[in-house]
Amino acid sequence: MRIRAERDDLADIFSRANRAIGARTAIPVLQGLLCEVSGSNLWVTGTDHEMTVRASMEVEVMEEGRVVIPGRLLADAVRRMPAGQVTIGTSDGEVEIVGRGPRFSIRPLNTEDFPEIAESTGEGVEVDGEELAAAINQVVVAASTDTARPILTGVLFESSEEGLRLVATDSYRLAVRDLAGVGLEGTGLVPARGLRELPRTIGAAKITARLGEREAVFSSERGTLRLRLIEGSFPKYRSLVPESYPNQVIIKKEDVLEALGRVSLVAEDHIPVRLKLSDGGVDVTVTRQDVGGETEHIAGVYTGEQEEVTVAFNPRYLADGVGAVEGEDVRIQVIDGVRPSVVDGGDGSNFIYLLMPVRI
Amino acid sequence: MRLVIARCTVDYEGRLTAHLPEAVRLVMVKADGCVAVHADGGAYKPLNWMNAPNTLREYDGLWEVTNPKGEKLVITMHEILADTTHDLGEDPGLQKDGVEAHLQELLAERPHVLEEGMELIRREYPTALGPVDMLCVDASGRTVAVEIKRRGEIDGVEQLARYVERLDLDPRLAPVRGILVAQLVSPQARTLAEARGLETREVDYDGLRQIESATPRLFEL
Repeated sequence: MRIRAERDDLADIFSRANRAIGARTAIPVLQGLLCEVSGSNLWVTGTDHEMTVRASMEVEVMEEGRVVIPGRLLADAVRRMPAGQVTIGTSDGEVEIVGRGPRFSIRPLNTEDFPEIAESTGEGVEVDGEELAAAINQVVVAASTDTARPILTGVLFESSEEGLRLVATDSYRLAVRDLAGVGLEGTGLVPARGLRELPRTIGAAKITARLGEREAVFSSERGTLRLRLIEGSFPKYRSLVPESYPNQVIIKKEDVLEALGRVSLVAEDHIPVRLKLSDGGVDVTVTRQDVGGETEHIAGVYTGEQEEVTVAFNPRYLADGVGAVEGEDVRIQVIDGVRPSVVDGGDGSNFIYLLMPVRI
Repeated sequence: MRLVIARCTVDYEGRLTAHLPEAVRLVMVKADGCVAVHADGGAYKPLNWMNAPNTLREYDGLWEVTNPKGEKLVITMHEILADTTHDLGEDPGLQKDGVEAHLQELLAERPHVLEEGMELIRREYPTALGPVDMLCVDASGRTVAVEIKRRGEIDGVEQLARYVERLDLDPRLAPVRGILVAQLVSPQARTLAEARGLETREVDYDGLRQIESATPRLFEL
């Protein structure tokens, strides 16, 4: 195998494929990137079995072939080459990476050991890449990172007649985002860790998505991201969302985030932030016995059955939810200080963030 | 498990000879044959004991415990105040310290408590020397090995140092930061950690528990 291409283009494709090389596997060959050259294209594949990134680019081909090269070293070596053309080729059992002057000689990994990656089969549906990436970003904040509870580390992809719904929860909060008109068939629990990599690895204006029995496949002009589905039953989330909320306040998202930023100077996670919703907006209060406190008022529009209602939240969870809302305004809907509250963007919002209040 | 509370004298003959004068004591006879004589004080250590295998012979007012090594424990029972036997069943064995295990669970859900931007890769990450409690990645993308102890002592630092050294051999992970996390880190452990290029963090276990208990879940796990 021998190819030549611009340094920056090679560095980009290697770094994207490297995103699939995680710290989870102990299999040595999975530390490598499979580089395959045929026709006028270089195909690069990185995988940890759970997530696979495969991307291609047009290169100047001197010799076809395939080789597995240690991923991190390959990406770093190419990135540190002088600007301009870089040649990568195999010679005498080694991989040469040659720039304008520097020359790396790297021992390849055993190509035979690299897992076979099945080619994508089945039709996918085309979705707006930016909308999908934004929707993913909105829900993954609620997914757990604790692998001891794998089901909660996934995002539920649920299709319906109206479109596609993405749902994530770590049991403390729940994020739901509807993508109207996206006719993706099937239901599956897709790892949030892999979904977070979608914009960086294959992000593009148009993405084709497909949900198979065992994997979710996302493709664009920049490559393919395959994510192995998580097995298990996702919590029955529909019954968790109350049907109505008697009290609500609409406030500026930026105001809330700035206030919560100030709150975080005083409060650690275990110190709740109190919100008193009443006519004129929200009074925010945080008190920490050994440190002090902070109070402020956020102007907003309150409507409610009660003259005022007080509710407290974990400030980080609240900030995650508010930050995930699109648009300038945030609506906080409250029943009382005990039952779940909802953070969303107001009427017609396609996103809701359900959050349990903290007992005070 | 047989528990006898008796006014007794005890004589031991073996590697040395010992005599316990008459007093009220607890005599434990375990299912495996161990015999231990306890006073009403001291945490766990008996005044005298004989490890299994033993042979216990009971005579009128006298117990004789012998073992194959030729040791002999003679308990003269002047007055038996209580004598009960209980079947304790199968013992589940020693489990990891409850606080350590719970602390790991709490930190796995909130790795940012250790450092802003910290994310969990996985708990009990396997190494050739045993599993490291948590493997994380920091905000800059660097791998972080986290070892959790109830009290951070020198042995915990040394254990973490061995894990980090091992993990550093893996090019996917290197260079690895190491953090010893405990409710309280001793000054000696702190000094040793600094010398080894490791970090220490004290965490508020009660505070973390408070978050857990004060933050109700939407559903039970």
